[in-house]
Amino acid sequence: MKELELQYVGPIATLANLLAERYTTQTATLRALIKELDARHPGLLQMFVNPQTGQLNLNTMIYYGDPGQIPAPVLNLDHPIQDGGTVTFW
Amino acid sequence: MNARQNQIQTLLRVDLSSGKTRLETLPTSWTAKYIGARGINARLLFDEVNAGTDALGPDNVLYFGTGPMDGLPIGNGRMSVACKSPRGTIAEGSFGGFFGPELRRAGVDYLAISGQAEQPVYLYIHDGRVEIRDASHLWGLTTDKTDAALRREFRDPDVQLRYIGPAAENGVHSSVIMGNLNNSGGRAGCGEVMGNKKLKALAVRGRQGIQVADYDAFIDAYHLYRQRLDLATSRDPWTPVWSTYGAPALVRLFAGMGNLMTRNAQEMGWEAEKAQRIGAEIYLEKYVAKAKACFNCPWPACQKIHVIPQGEYQGFRGGNYWAGQPVVFGSLIDNDDLDLTLILSGLCNRYGLDIFHVGFTLAWAMECFERGLLTLSDTDGLELRFGCKDHAGLIDLVRKIAYREGFGELLALGCEQAARLVGGGAEKYCLSVKGQEIEAIAERNMYMVALGVAVSEVGPDHTRWYPPYPCNPDLISRDELLTLGVDLDLRKAFQGRNPEEKGKLLRWFSISRAVVESLPGCVFLVRDTLGLDMRPWQQLFQAATGVQIDYEEFLRAGERVLNLERAFNVREGYRRVDDRLPYRMSHEAVPHFNFPPVTQAVLDGMLDEYYTANGWDLATSIPKEQKLIELGLEDVAFALRGSTEEAKQ
Repeated sequence: MKELELQYVGPIATLANLLAERYTTQTATLRALIKELDARHPGLLQMFVNPQTGQLNLNTMIYYGDPGQIPAPVLNLDHPIQDGGTVTFW
Repeated sequence: MNARQNQIQTLLRVDLSSGKTRLETLPTSWTAKYIGARGINARLLFDEVNAGTDALGPDNVLYFGTGPMDGLPIGNGRMSVACKSPRGTIAEGSFGGFFGPELRRAGVDYLAISGQAEQPVYLYIHDGRVEIRDASHLWGLTTDKTDAALRREFRDPDVQLRYIGPAAENGVHSSVIMGNLNNSGGRAGCGEVMGNKKLKALAVRGRQGIQVADYDAFIDAYHLYRQRLDLATSRDPWTPVWSTYGAPALVRLFAGMGNLMTRNAQEMGWEAEKAQRIGAEIYLEKYVAKAKACFNCPWPACQKIHVIPQGEYQGFRGGNYWAGQPVVFGSLIDNDDLDLTLILSGLCNRYGLDIFHVGFTLAWAMECFERGLLTLSDTDGLELRFGCKDHAGLIDLVRKIAYREGFGELLALGCEQAARLVGGGAEKYCLSVKGQEIEAIAERNMYMVALGVAVSEVGPDHTRWYPPYPCNPDLISRDELLTLGVDLDLRKAFQGRNPEEKGKLLRWFSISRAVVESLPGCVFLVRDTLGLDMRPWQQLFQAATGVQIDYEEFLRAGERVLNLERAFNVREGYRRVDDRLPYRMSHEAVPHFNFPPVTQAVLDGMLDEYYTANGWDLATSIPKEQKLIELGLEDVAFALRGSTEEAKQ
């Protein structure tokens, strides 16, 4: 199990009706995490994943940081996530 | 309704000493060469304000400049204000609202205000005519009361106003010019110069239309421009957040990334809970009463009107909560009370103070207090520590700055002069360059910001090289970049702490933003293709003016503006040594994030690249004669010969 720090910024906070949360998951990548989170925050998948290309929508952004690392923009949705990581949905 | 031809730009001269006024037509060739607004203001200032002119004397000229896009759907109401700064450099700033379009509708594109009135006056410009009116009844009023008094006087909701507050009247360093209650401009002391001329306000009203040269081409270009800013079609990740929530959304994002100045930038991170309390989401949910935009702006994000909903300050109204306010009156002084942040920034607007001057000088004073360089006897008994809970004391201190009372007299000087008076190493804690306080962006994590802050002709001003924090460079291909005239390694250029390619990138941004601010457009609306594609702006310019210049020549106009502004400073004695960073940024690492300081050696490397890319002399930063001639600025090259010879000796 991985415990993540999730942050929702701007319109994503409106979508999630939440600014931040600690979240426990078994998923291994950002793509799987978004899919799982979509059940909790409906619309997240559509917001972040382009249904035609399967890639990150270009008018959204995800910042990810491993534990102790400074979060940085990630384009690749198959980027692995680690226990203690932080994910910011922009 | 009469319609003005957009190719012809007019200049109204007002001499406040003699009371004489004259309306002139500017050379039509200037539209292609300098475009308008910031560009033409730079040309006028270089030509008409001689080296060594006393900035607070009658010979300094205060210019207000619109441009060929003002009054059109694209213009966003931007305009430029410029003069010689009391600090010695060129002072130039841009502000939005509705004044610029209205000035053009009144038949005037530029104002050049010289001399000094004997008694307070204001100008009323309407339909090509100007009246110099008595303003004794307005002198001393805060900006909100000035606005209300003039509106009562005119009984015309469409009259547009610019005015100064008590800070400018009292000669406070960096005081600004205000309008529409919350729009400020000219933070390098334009307000102080206006106050010194005893010019309290400008009022304009016009009824002329503005005729674009090619209507169909303009509509086509406009659709392209809007499509790129559309939430659904933009490929820029900043668009959805920026257009609705605005820059305060950065506070939470940056708090954990080492990009948020905290406790006078001794640290660059802030507790997430604190950032949440003053972030955009809470602000939008609980404080915003109404969204408002500048003239024809598609993004109602920056001009929101807010009201404090409850508590001791319930009912306090203000607006324009952008990126600067939550930093300078939030993390920088370690305050996570949004009410206090809004009150301090709102009072700055009412007194006509620059928020960066007040915020950074306040944070400097707090650090000096904690280090024992200032004591209770200096601060009029205020326990001036970070996270200060004496809110009433802080609020009163802002008033004292505006009126130069007690401890406020010292802070009114700005941190650089104040630090010299305090001594004992206080200079090390002052975050300013060329006498002007920096802005709320992280130099030690984003080297382009460091370079931009160091070289800016007007003192730190991020709008001159926006956006400082672009997204992933993979979104744009190398081929596309070359088409746009951007010949650099974008991946390296956007790596925060890698000094490579920063000089070239900054040059690109400086030139292209000079173009945008000369049209004038809003630099926040340059999104898509990372703000690198200027073609839509070129199409709009051509359609609006009928001036057919190619893409390269369009950008060259921006290069001319940048060189004119640099040349103005060179003539005043500014050299490479003045392009520097505050002590903290160049000597202290960022704790927790382990960002090293931007040492002089690192800065020197970036300066070399920047000067080389610009065609400026490496030792002095003076534009080379060959470069100026290439730009068609032979007269500027001639004027700088003395400076170049002197520098050689």
